[in-house]
Amino acid sequence: MSLRTADTARTAGTARTAGTARAVAPRRRGRYGAPAVLLAPFLTLFTAATLVPIGYAVYLSLFTEHRSGLGFGPVQTVFTGLGNYTRALGDPVFRGGFTTIAEYCLLYIPVMVGLSLTVALLLDSALARAKRFFQLALFLPHAVPGIIAALIWAYLYTPGISPVVGALGSAGVHVDLLGHPLPAVVNMAVWEWTGYNMVIFFAGLQALPREVLEAALVDGAGPLRTALSIKLPLIKASITMVCLFTLIGSLQLFTEPMILQGASSQVTTNWTPNMFAYSAAFGRNDYGLAAASSVMLALAAAALSFIVTRVTRTRSERRTEAAR
Amino acid sequence: MSTHRTARRRVLRLAAVLTTSALSISLLAACGSSGGGSASSSASSHGPVTITFWAWAKGTQQVVDAFNASHKDVHVDFEQIPSGVAGGYAKISDAVKAGNAPDLFNVEYAALPDFVSQGAVQDITSLVPAGLKAKYLPQSVEQTTLGGSTWALPLDAAPQALFYRKDLFAKAGITTPPTTWADYQADAVKLKAAEPNTRIGTFFPDDPSTLEAFAWQNGAHWFSSSGDTWKIAVDSPATKKVADYWDGLVSKDLVRVQTSFSQQWTASLQKGETAAYLGAAWGGGVLQGTVAGAPGNAGNWAVAPVPTWDGQPASGMLGGSTFAVSKDSQKAQAAVEFATWATTTPQGIQARIASGTSSMFPADPELLPAAKAAFNTSFYGGQDIYAVFTAASKTIVQGWQWGPGLSVTNSTLKDAFAKLGQGGTIDGALGSAQSATVSDLGTLGLKVAQ
Amino acid sequence: MSAVATKETDTAQETGAVRSATAGRSRPWSLSKTAVNGALVLVTVYTLLPLGWLLTAAAKNTPDLLGGNGLTPSNVHLVQNLHDLATQDGGIYFRWYLNSLLYAGLGALLCALVCVCAGYAFEVYRFRGKEKLFGLVLLGVLVPTTALALPMYLLASEIGVVDTFWAVFIPSLVFPFGVYLSRVFCAGYIPGEVLEAARMDGAKELRIFWSIGLRMVMPGFVTVFLFQFTAIWNNFFLPLVMLSNTKLFPVSLGLYVWNSQTHGNPEFYPLVVTGSLLAVVPLVVAFVALQRHWKAGLTAGSVK
Repeated sequence: MSLRTADTARTAGTARTAGTARAVAPRRRGRYGAPAVLLAPFLTLFTAATLVPIGYAVYLSLFTEHRSGLGFGPVQTVFTGLGNYTRALGDPVFRGGFTTIAEYCLLYIPVMVGLSLTVALLLDSALARAKRFFQLALFLPHAVPGIIAALIWAYLYTPGISPVVGALGSAGVHVDLLGHPLPAVVNMAVWEWTGYNMVIFFAGLQALPREVLEAALVDGAGPLRTALSIKLPLIKASITMVCLFTLIGSLQLFTEPMILQGASSQVTTNWTPNMFAYSAAFGRNDYGLAAASSVMLALAAAALSFIVTRVTRTRSERRTEAAR
Repeated sequence: MSTHRTARRRVLRLAAVLTTSALSISLLAACGSSGGGSASSSASSHGPVTITFWAWAKGTQQVVDAFNASHKDVHVDFEQIPSGVAGGYAKISDAVKAGNAPDLFNVEYAALPDFVSQGAVQDITSLVPAGLKAKYLPQSVEQTTLGGSTWALPLDAAPQALFYRKDLFAKAGITTPPTTWADYQADAVKLKAAEPNTRIGTFFPDDPSTLEAFAWQNGAHWFSSSGDTWKIAVDSPATKKVADYWDGLVSKDLVRVQTSFSQQWTASLQKGETAAYLGAAWGGGVLQGTVAGAPGNAGNWAVAPVPTWDGQPASGMLGGSTFAVSKDSQKAQAAVEFATWATTTPQGIQARIASGTSSMFPADPELLPAAKAAFNTSFYGGQDIYAVFTAASKTIVQGWQWGPGLSVTNSTLKDAFAKLGQGGTIDGALGSAQSATVSDLGTLGLKVAQ
Repeated sequence: MSAVATKETDTAQETGAVRSATAGRSRPWSLSKTAVNGALVLVTVYTLLPLGWLLTAAAKNTPDLLGGNGLTPSNVHLVQNLHDLATQDGGIYFRWYLNSLLYAGLGALLCALVCVCAGYAFEVYRFRGKEKLFGLVLLGVLVPTTALALPMYLLASEIGVVDTFWAVFIPSLVFPFGVYLSRVFCAGYIPGEVLEAARMDGAKELRIFWSIGLRMVMPGFVTVFLFQFTAIWNNFFLPLVMLSNTKLFPVSLGLYVWNSQTHGNPEFYPLVVTGSLLAVVPLVVAFVALQRHWKAGLTAGSVK
């Protein structure tokens, strides 16, 4: 990821948070001692719990296990080069996991971001009452661990158990979310994350400069137009960041489908790439395959995020230049 | 400690010679009480060997408690884990890899070859005397002997059985339980006609083991080996016949398609919307635990032999567990001692069945009287369910073999079953499972006959 | 912190005033007060309903839970459920609870300290390769934590620390986004002049950090702590792969295992539901009590 993004971020952050001049007075050179001491804990941990495991996974992914006879004899570890990678990529089940994720993102990101933006804009409008209460009430699901959220919703999806399905059923609406795991999981995620992201958007909206909104008022723009054509573009950076983090989060999809699996057979053991890696490791003891698929998942995430930041950065830069 | 061991070995050697059931039971009983007593003096100097043990079978805690109460030389530290397919196997694999696996764990017959081929369990051939092996049903011994070595001690055999609600069947005008698969379908129609929301049973898309038992019953052989070459026949005609039949039931909406042991399935049984369950002997206790709390269930359930194609009794095995010793355990001997006690002594089986949660069919037929005496039949209206299981156990088709790669077979089947009702069929799933299994064995470096 | 909050409220009030004027004037297609608040109530119902369900479900026994029966005064089993929860497997649930508090509380505390140290160093000092190093940290932000869990497991099992407290605890100290946040906070809260003045007085660098920098950036510290506390409390994949000893489980993993036990043991259903309710309570309380902090954290994180 780019350093420039970070820099703009910092400048923006400063301007908005403290309002004081940023403290980047040139610090004396040659003071390596203090920064080394301060950075050492993080860098050590980062190396031990991120870099080394990735390196080790890459290493493991180059090996596979062979058996002889009927397979009940000793196990032999052999070098297979990229064999595990071609095996994973050649497996329609593994590719299917990425398809699931793609479909999930296509449904989840617009719905969740759209809903949280709408709610943030509604809250930001002068008409909303009890803003604090609404903010808190909408945020609360985020305090619920994913596994518990999934457990609750699994009950709420099950016909005959769920009061919601029951009520909808008697109103003539028949929902079968257990038969449609994708929207079922999307709903769980929307529930967990809408309030969280709404708070981010709301904070961004509240921090918008007054003059701009006044100008809109003078121009005679209504609240809806102000919201869509003035407020939204101004919090674009927040929107991009939320989308980016949501994307990274989506690639990790694991907990919710694992729980839903107990209620819906349509959530298969290899439904997402993470589940594939998990069952390769613990279901089949195929650690080479598990390592290879984890490495590919991490690569996919890094690549995707890189593309997203690249695209949005060049765009926002172009816009900034145009504004000048 | 050594005194007890010798006593035990002497008894086992005796048992090999004397096959009279009554005699060996009484000898083992004697060993359980007096052996334990004599061991206490030596145990004080050495201290007991503590082994760790993971299992999920019903009533295991009671078995362990009874063992610990009567044995001073070995102490069993038991931990209950989720059932194998529900995460228990993953947990065991995880622990084996981490080097902190329990000394002993339960593994089903079907999963044993995978565990053996992954090098997760120990060859216990030298710890299992011939006399001990002779006590178990031959089918069970067959399933625990792989590549000529003994890898586990069988706990239970799992003859299939049909559990059904007498009251609901009677209400639909069904007087006797179905004996053929044609009857089963006809009864399914009757039940649905009498009460539109009632189905005769369930197809479990998440658990292929029921389908495998039906294939076994019909004489299929999914895995077989000659020399060091495997032959895979998942999509043979014998299995296809079963698959087509169940495809028919599913497409005619005569059975539910629900995840096994899910809230939905449990709820539909509790409410009487599902009137029967095709399970195995151990299912009697599980079913009771699943529905007994709900009104209208206790006393109304009954057990019948599983339907067959020609009306001649025949059964596959659905599940059934073994005791396997983990690869790195240093206490294999103590582990086998406990496993032997749990699988071949009346006290062992009695503790399990008397817990009121298990209706397991012991792999050692000599224990049947003890099991039967300990089982409380009130949930089944006083029916002698062990008589049904015993009859069924004699009709278990011989020659079925499990093989490594079954976890891939099963996960492919599950993935394909997930598409039932959306263009997928059970029959179609067999083809995918066949090719996935063959290619997985290839990946493991094994020879597969084409 | 307070600066942020005050600023926000000010702007809110001012823009609010401006906007009510707008709303007053242009009616034609504008949203009515009822519509806006109605929509908000609707969304609130959506977010609170599952929690409400959990509250009532925790008082049901298995047949009522699976039968979908409503809760009436005659079938409240809350006390029974709590009793079962406290006694199942020798009261192991509360052990899980304590484990979670330890993993999340201690983990988040140390993690926040580590992050603030690093963020401060990145912000305050100049050294060679600094921005490259920071770029590496940002790359760490982009790697999904669950994609790392399996490699960490493989490594941990190689060096033999799988199924120990450390296997879950140490990875939870690493939070690259926290370093980024800390750098932003340091930039906002620590004026360079103050540090310079301290140096003039002859204070040592580490002493300056400890007694001035850390104090001034405390709001950032609290924010990173809250973020990571939630993340660790909610983490499931890492403990799932790392732990097999039930005595080390955090509550999320314990509930998962109990939920798997329901497979054939329906008496576990009420345990899982009641246990879920209790596991949610501390976080809900924390979030209600610490509203200002998480809002500030989310704001700082978002302003990019």
